Amino acid sequence: MAFLDITSVTKSFGAVSVLKDVSLAIEKGEFVVFVGPSGCGKSTLLRMITGLEDPTSGTIAIDGEVVNDVEPAKRGTAMVFQSYALYPHMTVYQNMSFGLRMAGKSKAFIRERVERAASILRLEQLLDRKPAQLSGGQKQRVAIGRSIVREPRVFLFDEPLSNLDAELRVQMRAELMELHRRLGTTMIYVTHDQVEAMTLADKMIVMHAGRIQQAGAPLDLYDDADNRFVAGFVGSPKMNFLPARVAGSDANSVKLEAIAGTGSATLPFAGLPGALDAVELGLRPEHLRMVSPDAPTGGGLVLEGRVALAEELGAESYVHVDLADGTRVIARAGRDAARASQTARLVGDLDRVILFAPDGARLRGTGGPDA
Amino acid sequence: MSVSARRNVTVWTVLKWAVAIMVAVIAVFPVWWMVNVVFSLPGEPVSINPRLWPTSMSAGIDKIRMIFAETAYMRAYAVSLAYAGLTIFGVLLVGSLAAFEFALFEFRGKNVLFAVILLSLMVPTAATIIPTYLLTSSLGWLNSMQGLVVPGLASAFGLFMLVQFMRAIPRDMIEAARLDGANHFQIYWFVALPLSRNAMITLAILTFMQTWGNYMWPLIVGTRPDMYTVGQVVGLFNAPLSHQTVDVVMTANLLAAIPPLVFFLIFQKQIVEGIAMSGTKG
Repeated sequence: MAFLDITSVTKSFGAVSVLKDVSLAIEKGEFVVFVGPSGCGKSTLLRMITGLEDPTSGTIAIDGEVVNDVEPAKRGTAMVFQSYALYPHMTVYQNMSFGLRMAGKSKAFIRERVERAASILRLEQLLDRKPAQLSGGQKQRVAIGRSIVREPRVFLFDEPLSNLDAELRVQMRAELMELHRRLGTTMIYVTHDQVEAMTLADKMIVMHAGRIQQAGAPLDLYDDADNRFVAGFVGSPKMNFLPARVAGSDANSVKLEAIAGTGSATLPFAGLPGALDAVELGLRPEHLRMVSPDAPTGGGLVLEGRVALAEELGAESYVHVDLADGTRVIARAGRDAARASQTARLVGDLDRVILFAPDGARLRGTGGPDA
Repeated sequence: MSVSARRNVTVWTVLKWAVAIMVAVIAVFPVWWMVNVVFSLPGEPVSINPRLWPTSMSAGIDKIRMIFAETAYMRAYAVSLAYAGLTIFGVLLVGSLAAFEFALFEFRGKNVLFAVILLSLMVPTAATIIPTYLLTSSLGWLNSMQGLVVPGLASAFGLFMLVQFMRAIPRDMIEAARLDGANHFQIYWFVALPLSRNAMITLAILTFMQTWGNYMWPLIVGTRPDMYTVGQVVGLFNAPLSHQTVDVVMTANLLAAIPPLVFFLIFQKQIVEGIAMSGTKG
């Protein structure tokens, strides 16, 4: 049995079903990130773990004990809110000690715990200040400190960095990773930002429409998505999706035509379901390169289109290209290459193509690697 | 004067100041006149050649001493202060507890109940005063402090104001307190109440003004002289069969007006802010 076990949990608000049969196992000490678009149910799931919402059905167990009917404060979880939710009329010290005071701990005990948390988070100098006198990053640290003093079994973070500016967010991300390394406590983190998810997570759980789409290590999800949604959601810039017609297939390959209108290619793929006559190719921007018109294509997928937009990021450049059928793709380009011409010739790496059925399910070959 | 400074003084500015000064004079004059009448020799301010400033400090002090010595003014002060103090305490307690539930939690029939309370705001006091009197009387509370105070504790206006204010308390903060292990009452006491401090101060001030100036209810419920409030004692001075001269009546008035005046001067900022807030919040 895992440390945190969520079994067949559903949640409905009236007629609206927010979570549908969610099951999940989280090991002790893992840094787990729930990621998904707004309204996918990730925050609701977090709130159910901490006890702020009750599941409509299903069970949640922490360390072997089913906690469905356990009071939020007694579950051994601590939550950091997006809004920080610091008590504005209390000092940092009072904010951090509030939970322990409510639990009736002795003054000496409280002081020791708060001072230890303050030193971990470098808050020693701020203990007498009120939240209004703190910067965004400091408030965030106080909110985390308030959780730390309770020494919970599970830390829960509900989009804790969304109110910070980009630079501070990167810094706080690093601090959170350091904190996790130092405390070794299980942490569950909710975000809609997949970059944040990828950088923080030991295990990343992609959610959509109330269901878990895929769970696993961030790079596994990036390289080997289970469906079109996960493939499209994970990664920035986003994966390109190209419609194609199946012209024929045999035991080890599939021949595709009309890829984004004009392209054609033969992919190594074993056991394509016979009934399929249309598929979608998924290809990440870094596997689709813009090349000069006379460059050799090396047997790759060749596509041509009009340059709509060029993004120079310094270390790398991306071009947004409109293909013959109107599909817009993003491809990696050489420095200044995108600006030089109106039309673009793109070469895709066929070894990195993954296939999706029209319903969005991943098509996996039956024998050996599928792509 | 520099060019830019001169340009700032427009006709509009002059007009604004003129109107403001006029309003201030109109508002202050009655109070000033009261002081003038009290601290003058009897008859002087109302003579053919009236003075607009006090002429005799000792005459005023004599009158004040006489009122305190010969009437039950001190006792009335005590009754009024107790009446105001207990009402403020009760209104804040009842109002904040009710507002806490109405503003931050869901319960069955909440909207209907709140609507009924708001409806009571629209019923004039004159319509409810007889049933309230009958109820107070049948409880045996006539001529008692609880008879004065208790009927005024359920303040629909106070509840409405506090609910509007508490609605602005973020839900996250209440949930954070729950996660911190605070029980329902502790959330009220340690989180909601301190966060509503400004609204509570405003409500306390408004309740004080209203209670201190309340004439009708004490008159009806406190008919025994030992339960007279300041308002009733002043009323006695003004009564048709009173033999007091106008300067003594004015002295009684002045003594009655001092507490609210001092109160207003101290809490001026909060009163103005509070009234503005109760109108715009929510």
